[in-house]
Amino acid sequence: MQTRFPPEALADPAMATSEGVIRKCVHCGFCTATCPTYVLLGDENDSPRGRIYLIKDMLENGRKPGPETVKHVDRCLSCLACMTTCPSGVNYMHLVDHARAYIHENYQRPWHERATRRLLAWVLPYPGRMRLALELAPLGRPLVPLMKRIKALRPLAAMVELAPAKVPAPAPMEPVRVPGAKARVALLQGCAEPVLSPEVRAATLRLLERAGCEVVFAQDEGCCGALVHHMGREGDALAAARRNVDAWMAEIEGDGLDAVIVTTSGCGTTIKDYVHMLRADPAYAEKAAQVSALAMDVSEFLAKHGLPAATPRGLTVAYHPPCSLQHGQKVTEAPKRLLAEAGYTVRLPAEAHLCCGSAGTYNILQSELAGQLGARKAERLSALEADVIATGNIGCAVQIARHSGLPVVHTIELLDWATGGPRPQALKHLPQE
Amino acid sequence: MLEPRDAADLAELVADAAASGRKLELRGGGTKADFGAPREAEIVSLAGLTGVVDYDPAELVLTVRTGTLLSDVQALVAGEGQMLAFEPWGDEGATIGGTMAAGVAGSRRVTAGSARDHLLGLTAVSGRGEVFVAGAKVVKNVTGYDLPKLMAGSWGRIGAMAELTVKVLPHPREVVTLAARGLSPVAAHAAMACALGSNAEVSAAAALSDGTVLLRVAGFAPSVEARCAALPGLLAAHCGLEPLEDAAPLWQQAMTGAGLKGAVHWDVHLPPRAAPALIAALPEGADWAMDWGGGRVWVCSDAEDDAVRQIAAGLGGEARLIAAPAAMRARVSAFQPRAKGVAALEARVRRAFDPKGVFVTGRFAEDADADALSA
Amino acid sequence: MSIAMPVPNAETLAKRERIARALRAIVPGEGVIDAPEALRPWESDGLTAYRQPPLLVVLPETTAQVSAVLKWCHAEGVKVVPRGAGTSLSGGALPLADAVLLGLGKFKRVLDVDYEDRVAVVQPGVTNLAITQAVEGRGFYYAPDPSSQIACTIGGNVAENSGGVHCLKYGLTTNNVLGAEVVLMDGEIVRLGGRHLDSGGLDLLGVVVGSEGLLGVVTEVTVRILPRPETARAVLVGFPDAEQAGACVAQVIAEGIIPAGMEMMDRPAIHAAEAFVNVGYPLDVGALLIVEVDGPAAECDFLIGEIARIGNANGAVTSRVSDGEAERMAFWAGRKAAFPAVGRISPDYLCMDGTIPRRRLPDVLRRMEELSEEYGLRVANVFHAGDGNLHPLILYDANVPGELDKAEAFGADILRLCVSVGGVLTGEHGVGIEKRDLMPEMFSDADLKQQQRVKCAFDPELLLNPGKVFPVLHRCAELGQMHVHHGALPHPELPRF
Repeated sequence: MQTRFPPEALADPAMATSEGVIRKCVHCGFCTATCPTYVLLGDENDSPRGRIYLIKDMLENGRKPGPETVKHVDRCLSCLACMTTCPSGVNYMHLVDHARAYIHENYQRPWHERATRRLLAWVLPYPGRMRLALELAPLGRPLVPLMKRIKALRPLAAMVELAPAKVPAPAPMEPVRVPGAKARVALLQGCAEPVLSPEVRAATLRLLERAGCEVVFAQDEGCCGALVHHMGREGDALAAARRNVDAWMAEIEGDGLDAVIVTTSGCGTTIKDYVHMLRADPAYAEKAAQVSALAMDVSEFLAKHGLPAATPRGLTVAYHPPCSLQHGQKVTEAPKRLLAEAGYTVRLPAEAHLCCGSAGTYNILQSELAGQLGARKAERLSALEADVIATGNIGCAVQIARHSGLPVVHTIELLDWATGGPRPQALKHLPQE
Repeated sequence: MLEPRDAADLAELVADAAASGRKLELRGGGTKADFGAPREAEIVSLAGLTGVVDYDPAELVLTVRTGTLLSDVQALVAGEGQMLAFEPWGDEGATIGGTMAAGVAGSRRVTAGSARDHLLGLTAVSGRGEVFVAGAKVVKNVTGYDLPKLMAGSWGRIGAMAELTVKVLPHPREVVTLAARGLSPVAAHAAMACALGSNAEVSAAAALSDGTVLLRVAGFAPSVEARCAALPGLLAAHCGLEPLEDAAPLWQQAMTGAGLKGAVHWDVHLPPRAAPALIAALPEGADWAMDWGGGRVWVCSDAEDDAVRQIAAGLGGEARLIAAPAAMRARVSAFQPRAKGVAALEARVRRAFDPKGVFVTGRFAEDADADALSA
Repeated sequence: MSIAMPVPNAETLAKRERIARALRAIVPGEGVIDAPEALRPWESDGLTAYRQPPLLVVLPETTAQVSAVLKWCHAEGVKVVPRGAGTSLSGGALPLADAVLLGLGKFKRVLDVDYEDRVAVVQPGVTNLAITQAVEGRGFYYAPDPSSQIACTIGGNVAENSGGVHCLKYGLTTNNVLGAEVVLMDGEIVRLGGRHLDSGGLDLLGVVVGSEGLLGVVTEVTVRILPRPETARAVLVGFPDAEQAGACVAQVIAEGIIPAGMEMMDRPAIHAAEAFVNVGYPLDVGALLIVEVDGPAAECDFLIGEIARIGNANGAVTSRVSDGEAERMAFWAGRKAAFPAVGRISPDYLCMDGTIPRRRLPDVLRRMEELSEEYGLRVANVFHAGDGNLHPLILYDANVPGELDKAEAFGADILRLCVSVGGVLTGEHGVGIEKRDLMPEMFSDADLKQQQRVKCAFDPELLLNPGKVFPVLHRCAELGQMHVHHGALPHPELPRF
């Protein structure tokens, strides 16, 4: 696609990258078929191709973002299905990330949007604040109906609704020491997952130990920065990235790491992108590249290093591939293969490529569209007549659980169970085989 | 009877008629003259426009003048192992032009498409007396509006084709007919639906009033053999199947309605699943034959009313009055009347080709009605 | 850009806000897009070299809304451009500054499937591939398969009479459509054809299919679905050059073999596609033929053998038969993505779409190479070899001044070449604006006038997708069929492009 970026604008690496992405698009429209928002709305502006145009127009003219552009970019789930679909190699992720940052810098949102986003950026990346917010959520539940009536307060309502009825106990954070370990890995501590679903970390630790891995938690590691990154808060995201790069570099330069294992695929996508995010930072570019190269989804790691012996549990699993895993990290076969290896009957839903609507803060900031996507996804999963729904991302799990009657677990929980771990909490109700 | 020798002659004839308000009726071999209402018009015979213009078997394209006999065309392509896939048929003297203008298609239509699907290009004279070209001599062309589609089945109402280009396809190396016996219309349709819906690639399916169902399997020998072996199993729930050597006469009846009893002939097109209902609703004494897996039902009777048409309409189909006593043809339109909006649109399109109504002879009464509608 | 679009109607432009208000009354919510920034993404279709934000975009959800929109626009003399997925490669969906762009993107439902009668009724926004996806569970599929099938809509397919890999055996869209609900520019809703075959009267459906959005807006389509063949096998045959590949194609057809698909790619196209799908195309051949046969296993086996024999007889250097459905799909994935995949090797491309008699392929390829050198622009060739439909992809860079003009001139020369050897300007992508000014190369004035009279019959005020297909927009009155409304001729003097 033709571009007309002024030369001085291209001096900015982000602009130059975006221009390159845009130039790659030949406007073929393939991406529209797999974009959740286009599938729902049928409006070109709500498609990757449309957003590419909106972003191009905004960046090319050095324009203050217009409300329409912001609206449609906000609606993007960053599910990256478009990247999987695009035959021309358009790196939509880097383009939309830049656009979000540009919007954050140049667009004056309504105060309530700003307030909501500020609150999200303040709470979500920090497990402590997250836990506190979840504990306070029940207090706000009665206000949800009222809040839903006030547009400015809908994100708050969505937040309250997303909170679990009961906040689970904190996840363990004991390093795993294995004599003669086959590998030494760092496990991402994360932000939302350990608060919402501590069992995932527990299962992961058990499985990795069983797989012969030494697992460490890096000092000073924090939120991967994905959430703030997707809100356009570039500065915050880069700060988070630098902090994590430093944390993991300490381990790398210390006893060395074979991988940085991630159990939340959204975070994994971001960590693998540290190399691009920090490319213009001379102090971090090289280190980020190392870190990104080491980052792996837990399923990737297990598929590569082998799964311990498994005992079939006789369940049919409806597998929901998280967008950040299938599109963002291009990890598609590993989870399914691992589950099958572990003895489960794995079924993939129709429209497996479509996002469930979780997408980070999407189900808070775009609660209506998220609801539609969630319901649609749940329906597709129900059609599989499975015993349990498995996925590799906590956000997806929470989202799907809201719309489905089936138990939802992390893939790793099933693998842990099959290879000797305890029955997942969500499956307690199932009859013992 | 006017007998132009070429397109230029034809154009002059039409222009003269347009200028003087005369009506012309185009005629190929004249085998369809009894279709439509009795009328008064000067006959223009296109039989003189004969000959093959261009034939390249490897390109799957044949260009002929419209007066060329259908039989000659069929013989020509057969000589190269090819065929007109839409399986046209016609009485002796039928021309390729008349065939195309009548939009005729045989049993293979259900899988190979209709005449319209195989008309690639043409040279014609409009009602203004202007020679125009539409389409082209290649099998794949979307350049401009598909005017050949309008010409196919136009029954000489919008223009006189002088030359046409058709798609030809390889003639199957093997053709086998499998037959079933004693099936009710409902069962017959079910069997045909099953066969046509299977991957056995049945090329035609017909049913006769005596309960016979005909299925045609054509292609390369190994494939025909394999499919003939597979079909009985696929249709086990519906009927038994046996090869039928002498199937031609049966196909002829299903394809043309030949042999059916009655003075009034109807050609009903409808959704196949509605065919049994149509048959069930026919008055006592009516005769029928089903082709196109049920999509076409020939109906014959002596009843000179349009009950068949009304039944067809109620079932989502339409009935053409193919043959009938002159009095009935004068009273009952040949084609089923269109919806008002469609009729008005059709009239405008017709006038786009024939603004002076040179070809509006009264043969198709609804044309006049439609003109009134859209005026 | 050398193609001129009609001069915008100043009165329409001036009443833009009023039009937006009126349309919003018909299509509420977010169904009317009028903010300039939000109109940008609609400014081009697959012919990205041409851009023009529309006056407004309206996204109706029901036929009644489409009818009301068209009726209002007709009364007000406002032009309308229909749009499906905007993948037309000929500018068919290119907006006009003074036209309302009518997006059918919200018409996404499969309304009915009758497996017994083998028909499906779908809304126009349903993608081509989605039709197959809707019926494949019962062993059926929709045959026409443009390479854009993942995104393009059945409405767009109908408008463009789209083809694809399988159209050699199964026909173009027109051969697979039984009926359509069409809304005319004055708002009238007509049903053409139906679930039954071959309606009486004039084949209006036949002329609507391929009308490139100029005759009416399709709001429902009844298509024929086919039982999925028992087997499908693909074979890759590599040749040193395209002439030998072409000769092989001719012999295959001459021997009575009509493959399900027969495609050819030249070296640049092979490389681009391989980079995208990584399926193992032979990269050291001059031309690659992909032949697919489908049907009973016995037939496929037989035909594969025949094709291999014919290939060898014509100088094939490599031959590879698909090993399973996955590999067959992979063989095709590269071909179907060949157009956009060249985006990896060139920022922009123009996709030509001429059809030639297959016997002239060597001549045409040779001449194209000469033209490529003359113009200094690379070209990658992808062909529907079976039906002579060429897709030369002219690679250029829109950011280099003059390259678009050169690419256009090159493309025009290619199409003139096609016509000169007895072919046509477009085999499946349509005329649109891309080939509009070349129409006189193929048709005489009388031919074109006759075509335009059909347009006048459907749209006397020339409001629906004007400026496309025909090089001179005559007033309908000039074509001898004048419609005078309200005591005035409806159209001011139209410009000659």
